[in-house]
Amino acid sequence: MSDLPPASTVKRWLVTTNHKDVGILYLVTALFFLLLGGVLALLIRVQLWTPGPSLLSGGAYNEAVTTHGLLMVFWFLSPFAFGFANYVVPLQIGAKDLAFPRLNALSYWAYVFSGLLMVISFFQGGTYDAGWTMYAPLNIPEYSPSVGGTTAVLALVLFVVSVTIGTVNFLVTIHRGRAEGMGMWNLPLFTWSILLTVWMMLFAFAALLGALLLLGSDRIVGTLYFTATGTGDSSLLWAHLFWFFGHPEVYIVFFPALGVMLEIFQTFSGRRLVGRKWVILAMILIAVQSFLVWMHHMFLTSINLEIKTLMMATTIGISLPFDLIVFALIYTLVKGRVQFTTPFLFSLGALLLFILGGITGVFLGATVLDYEFRGTYWVVAHFHYVMFGGATALFGALYYWYPKMTGRMYDEFLGKLHFGTFFVGFNLLYFPLFLAWETPRRVFEYNVELITWHQLATIGGFIVGASFLIMFYNLYVSYWNGEPVGENPWEFSRTAEWAIESPPPLENWPGRASYADGSLSFIETAPAHAADGGRATDGGVVSQFVEVREPTETELAHAEVHEDHASIWPFAIGLGVFVLFLGLSGLHAGELQGPHYLVAIAAGLGLSAYALLGFGLEEFNAPEALIAERWPFEGVGKTKLGVWFFLASDVVVFGAVIGAFVFIRAGMGWGAWETVPPDPLPGLVNTFVLLTSSFTVILALVAAERKSKRGLLAAMGATLALGFTFLGIKAWEWSYEFSVGIYPQTSIEASVYYVTTGLHGLHVVLGMLIALFMFARIYRSDAYLEDHRPVEFFGLYWHFVDIVWVFLFPLFYLM
Amino acid sequence: MYQTPVIPRPLAPLPRLPGDEWGTQVQLFEEIFVVFLVLGTIVGVVVVSYTLYNAYKYRDRGEESGEADRPVLGELPTGEGGGRKLFLSFFLSAVIVISLVAWTYGALLYVEAGPDDQGTDENLDVDVVGFQFGWEFEYPNGHSETNELRVPADRTVTLTFTATDVWHNFGIPELRVKADAIPGQTTETWFIAEETGEYTAWCFELCGVGHSDMVADVIVMEPEEWEEWYEDPEAYENGETDAEDESDVDEETDEEENGENDAAEDEPDDESEAVVTAVTR
Ligand code: HEM
Ligand SMILES: [Cu+2]
Ligand SMILES: [Cu+2]
Repeated sequence: MSDLPPASTVKRWLVTTNHKDVGILYLVTALFFLLLGGVLALLIRVQLWTPGPSLLSGGAYNEAVTTHGLLMVFWFLSPFAFGFANYVVPLQIGAKDLAFPRLNALSYWAYVFSGLLMVISFFQGGTYDAGWTMYAPLNIPEYSPSVGGTTAVLALVLFVVSVTIGTVNFLVTIHRGRAEGMGMWNLPLFTWSILLTVWMMLFAFAALLGALLLLGSDRIVGTLYFTATGTGDSSLLWAHLFWFFGHPEVYIVFFPALGVMLEIFQTFSGRRLVGRKWVILAMILIAVQSFLVWMHHMFLTSINLEIKTLMMATTIGISLPFDLIVFALIYTLVKGRVQFTTPFLFSLGALLLFILGGITGVFLGATVLDYEFRGTYWVVAHFHYVMFGGATALFGALYYWYPKMTGRMYDEFLGKLHFGTFFVGFNLLYFPLFLAWETPRRVFEYNVELITWHQLATIGGFIVGASFLIMFYNLYVSYWNGEPVGENPWEFSRTAEWAIESPPPLENWPGRASYADGSLSFIETAPAHAADGGRATDGGVVSQFVEVREPTETELAHAEVHEDHASIWPFAIGLGVFVLFLGLSGLHAGELQGPHYLVAIAAGLGLSAYALLGFGLEEFNAPEALIAERWPFEGVGKTKLGVWFFLASDVVVFGAVIGAFVFIRAGMGWGAWETVPPDPLPGLVNTFVLLTSSFTVILALVAAERKSKRGLLAAMGATLALGFTFLGIKAWEWSYEFSVGIYPQTSIEASVYYVTTGLHGLHVVLGMLIALFMFARIYRSDAYLEDHRPVEFFGLYWHFVDIVWVFLFPLFYLM
Repeated sequence: MYQTPVIPRPLAPLPRLPGDEWGTQVQLFEEIFVVFLVLGTIVGVVVVSYTLYNAYKYRDRGEESGEADRPVLGELPTGEGGGRKLFLSFFLSAVIVISLVAWTYGALLYVEAGPDDQGTDENLDVDVVGFQFGWEFEYPNGHSETNELRVPADRTVTLTFTATDVWHNFGIPELRVKADAIPGQTTETWFIAEETGEYTAWCFELCGVGHSDMVADVIVMEPEEWEEWYEDPEAYENGETDAEDESDVDEETDEEENGENDAAEDEPDDESEAVVTAVTR
């Protein structure tokens, strides 16, 4: 409800929910993690100057390799890309903000605090050292015992939470918030790439979350998912879960960079993209297919020849759409007027690096060759060419949108100097690694004959590092002294962000953006603006797009609504969860490592609950687009669509956890599994209890629609009572099982039983908290009688939780 | 009767028919790798030069040459024509990629099936167990060694892997052998060493603090000598043998951590005829 403080204050940056502010925050934070990951990379390269231990011990080296990988992939690359996405996507589609501005701030704060957890993990007896792939069973406390290891896993969990919230937000925004006249095919390509990225993220990160929850429970509670002793399959289970996420992740980090390249190539060649439709189709194909290739990371495991063949085919299949995109980029230059600005140089460089990464990737796709390349520097060189090559375009994006974000031009000479040193350094760093490819990765012993290549690479690494000093200097100096730019410094830019001031005003447009008549216009409806004094008449680029129209009735009604841009609660929730997770990290296989961790758990829980309550009670009017393109979700409200997307990802989380159960059980022999609950009766009763509560939720909605407060209270009360009955029976059941010596640590069967039903129980608890909150609001302030939609949203969630139980009951009690 | 696969090198004859012998893993890898490298370099050079050439040729000279329909600010995004050329290039690259990979599929089948003598007496089976931080090799006669694998030259060696603690990966770069060693799982691979000498096996999967040092010696011996060792390893190691004149024996005594790196230098003392000798048992 509060107003947005000016940008010069610290408070502004803690409370802002505006997409442009959040975008800047993302960019700055991501660059910080680039520095951190970069310093770790240089440590590794220094160690590799000669074979054998020097600077770092074996353990410290593993920590450096692991956290370098994690930080670069998770805390730098994607957030950096999403900094641009935050800033630019709403502008490109003609929206005033993201669909859920407060959730956007929340995903930022979850990201920052997850990164902070990573940083802290270094000081808790050493951070994680099991590689960024975290292979089982090296990932469990028995083999990576430090408290910091658990903190890193929890940091990842919080990061995934951030990603999931952001994903839902972007999906709803792009699908439901496009300016009038902007169909899906008309989305600018950067926005397309972000849309496909978030679609992949929605499912891939859910699978990762499932995997991390199992790993977290192994580390914190002491369950047996990834201990090798239980079953023979725990290593493979992790590999499947991780790579089901991990391969799409490769495209998740690359797609935004691709989108940037597609955008920048057009702007600086003065040509529209060749084969635009085919490029979009190719990207869609890649996004879908990315979920079908994961086992190509497991060619040397015990998977059979048929699967290897299939994976080899899908892998080759997925490389082909990329060919098409690369050629489309190249042909776009033909007949153009190519301007070699800094952003273009970085994009062109990214394309060249990607071509090399792609070609060396075909080597890996041929299974027999992969047999030899697996675990070597060939892989290291290849994925840096692809991922860091992709990041190259993102640095181009930084220069491209810098004038838009700051209103000032960067220094072109320094920009080109940055590119030159970067590009030379990059190739000096990674190309020799192809020549030294027989070196095992994550190892500091290597054949001395390869020393020249490794030393060249180390020199290259420092040149790359130095090139970034030039960049930071340039960005800093230009911020104060750069040439002021108007709306549009680029001759051939097309997208809407260039039609407004730099930096754009808080609510982006005069009036609303529209493409209804085939090109951009800003439709102003408030008569007050039209006369003069409004931005419409100040000349410049903006005015040529402004159209003034009589407001319609709904628009008039809406004009009264004050739009909010500030809330402290996202920050507070992030802080609360941060403290809670820090406390949880001190639990080691069910044992507390010190009383201060308990204090942190309690304080974290309290703070989170308080902040969530504050968030729930706050009046917050997000800027709403009254008129917008919403295909294919015309009939679905904003929040409802968000709930749908969230539930879709939750399906995958449960899918991963239940899939893990099926995988372990099938590996042991289906019949060899011992059913854990001694008696199916409590489970059966609970099934009826939950199904009945689904019915009472429907009654609640009916009562709300009839505006009957008593009916609503009664139905919600009944739902609550049934939910508590469910939890009560569950508690009784568990305590009985504990009393006969069945603990989560007892056997793999018990682990799976407690974790899977426990995860469901956690969903019930969360549902109960929401229901309690709603009940109190109905009781005290007659809530939901005017607008009954929240009851409907709660119902969606509740039905989902019930349906999950309908699967769990037979799986764990009867079979 | 065992015949060493004698395969004329290099790259002959291309392409291979299914079921055709590919020889040892070293030969097979070298052949495929070289083909990929040559084609990859050609494609890379052509595509990169073409890109740079166009970027330069169509550089902005500050003026418009003839009619050009340039994008304008605020237009709804659309695409340019030119799909024909796009599809032609796409089609060409797809043909190259698909045929290359399909060609290697025969090799994959061959590697998976192993050479013909697998499962016969001519084949030496060794069980390998990875642990933190070393390798245990167990021979059919029950003898086992840690961090030292002795095999005869010119004979198919089948390795069966597992691990006791965490995931490891066993690889001998010079012999192009590699396999995962996963706790609770078994995996298999095979190799034929053509030249006697010392090689190094490394661990290719991060397995803990000692990962970097997790190396094992692989000693390829003359078949007769190997037989001698195999019959009574202890006696052989104590020098109760008449083969002291063989260079391998001394090499194996001065085991030091990085000694294997000199494997290449040791090669001159190897009996190069061994490569084509048919071994009779
Ligand atoms: C966007 C930038 C980058 C990304 C996304 C990235 C990603 C990664 C990943 C995922 C790993 C694997 C970690 C593991 O094996 O667990 C890795 C390893 C490594 N990276 Fe980077 N990296 C980036 C930049 C750099 C830079 C700038 C350098 C050098 C100065 C560098 C040098 C290395 C080295 C030496 C390794 C260790 C290779 C090994 O032993 O496996 N990376 N990187
Ligand atoms: Cu992959
Ligand atoms: Cu290892």
